[in-house]
Amino acid sequence: MELNFSLIMTQVLFGLALGAVYILMACGLTIIFGLLDVVNFAHGTFYMLGAFAAFVIISLFGNFWIGLVSAVFIVGLIGWATESFLIKPLYGKDPLYPLLLTFGFSVAVTDLMRGIFGTIGKIVELPKGFTGSLMMGGIFLPKYRVFIIFLTLAVLIFLWFFFKKTNLGMIIRAATRDSLMVRALGVNVSRIWTFGFALGVGLAGLAGAVNSTILPALPDMGVEMTIECFVVVVIGGLGSLGGAILGGLIIGQVISFVSLLASDYSNVAIFFTMLVILLVRTRGLFGEAGRL
Amino acid sequence: MKSKTENKSTTGPSNRVVWITLLIFLVIPHIISTPLATEIMIFGLFALGFNLLLGHTGILSFGHAAYFGLGCYSCGMAIRYFGASVWTALLASSAMGALLASIIGALAIKKRGVYFAMISMAVAQMFYFLALSPLKKWTGGEDGLKFIPKLSLKYPFYVDLQSPFPLYYFVYFIVGVSILLIWRILNSPFGRLLQAIRENEERTIASGYNVTMAKFVSLVFSGLFSALAGGLFCVYLGYGPLQTLFWLTSGTILLMTILGGMHTFIGPVVGVAVFLYLQNKFSWVMERWELVVGIMFVGLVLVFPAGIVGTIKSKYLGRQATAKQNAEADSAEEPV
Repeated sequence: MELNFSLIMTQVLFGLALGAVYILMACGLTIIFGLLDVVNFAHGTFYMLGAFAAFVIISLFGNFWIGLVSAVFIVGLIGWATESFLIKPLYGKDPLYPLLLTFGFSVAVTDLMRGIFGTIGKIVELPKGFTGSLMMGGIFLPKYRVFIIFLTLAVLIFLWFFFKKTNLGMIIRAATRDSLMVRALGVNVSRIWTFGFALGVGLAGLAGAVNSTILPALPDMGVEMTIECFVVVVIGGLGSLGGAILGGLIIGQVISFVSLLASDYSNVAIFFTMLVILLVRTRGLFGEAGRL
Repeated sequence: MKSKTENKSTTGPSNRVVWITLLIFLVIPHIISTPLATEIMIFGLFALGFNLLLGHTGILSFGHAAYFGLGCYSCGMAIRYFGASVWTALLASSAMGALLASIIGALAIKKRGVYFAMISMAVAQMFYFLALSPLKKWTGGEDGLKFIPKLSLKYPFYVDLQSPFPLYYFVYFIVGVSILLIWRILNSPFGRLLQAIRENEERTIASGYNVTMAKFVSLVFSGLFSALAGGLFCVYLGYGPLQTLFWLTSGTILLMTILGGMHTFIGPVVGVAVFLYLQNKFSWVMERWELVVGIMFVGLVLVFPAGIVGTIKSKYLGRQATAKQNAEADSAEEPV
């Protein structure tokens, strides 16, 4: 297998597509952490729910796009309920508790899904028009992977616009900085938190739905994804969307190239990467200064 | 005015608790099934080691399965590949646990709790995947580490570790000594320092203590005892399962510790006993045992975060304190 330009570019593209999914996940996690100070250990579980939601809706209605969009809303709704009933009671207490609760939640929901859907992976068919690949300058570009990349770009642009230009986005940014002050200014911060959580897990659900054509939906993929998400966020620095993006990009490329060159280690590669980066730059690439 | 130094809650756990526990474990294999009792002791040690870090120092590690699994595999490998005796193998387990903890500590102990939890989880997952695939030749991959030769003790006298009672009392000996050691660690100036760190880290730093070093040492002890428990698990099973490195193991030990009460000394052991007993009774009947576990977890955090022993303690201490106050009020002298 010779490492020619075309092969490398193909791997880079794969890496971008992989990275895109991690970027969506990491952004969601970062939004939740920045706004609520909660580390959502169930983030991967919402990813898994997104994949299953897409599978179910598409099986029922036959349309991929309806499935994709519904999945995001369904997961967002579940997130809404989760925050309102399970996480809200814990505010003001030991910050350990939301961590523990979301962990228990993920164990419970994973097993519940196992009971409902069994352990055989469910895969969604590629939408028409997205099968096959393009050939550009000798490089293979699977159409669906290109779609993922553009979709993620669109989502990132949307998020940028949302946070910078809309009122609600501004309130969320303010609440991330100083929730108490925002509350003192008369805003119902509690509802902002719920919305933020729903938004964050909605992104996870989108990631899961988008990946449902590539990876079979399995209940157990949730926790693994959570752990990988953490690696992305540790690398990029928790609390920074830029870090989430950079971390996702790096991880995507790492997985892509290691799968090609040393597939036995493809699972472990991202953890090695994390350790190396920790050795070199202890607070992650974009970590908040002074707050290790 | 009552002397401040008599305030019981700032000293370590009372040794009464330790002796009662050791006494109970001395007789329990005759009451409940011996394998279950052995498992309770092994996981009890794991939980105590884990809680050294969580409940007493205030650091959450989400990847303690790494130490447990490493200890388990180290013990098995030492016996199978190096022909070590059980004593040596357990020593190796402890050493490996301490070593891993040192490495992780060097990399991550200064980080915020959130980061440390995530990093520890990631490291454990890394070990899991390493054992599963690339290192399959040595670890046995998914099947676990098998074919460990017949286990027995040669020194100081012969003990056949394949039969339940001798095995139980061997484990009892090791765990008992460990409990005493852990008790001693907590009942020392160092133990009080850990408590201070848990309660108010910034103030402890401002008081001039080397908090980073204290946390590091706590982590090393925690890793050591958790790995020792892992080694014992290998001796108990006669093989080394991959599950020991799995994230669910980390989660389960966390659950059991909280169930029992993480801010108490013996709480984790109680949590282990209750959980393993329930698991023994119900997991065979229920296909959705993990769902129950998850719900238990969520319920605990929402309703019962102090755990079994924690709740009992606060009720009992509450009543004691009230009684003392009443007694003092009754016997106080009239102001002149």
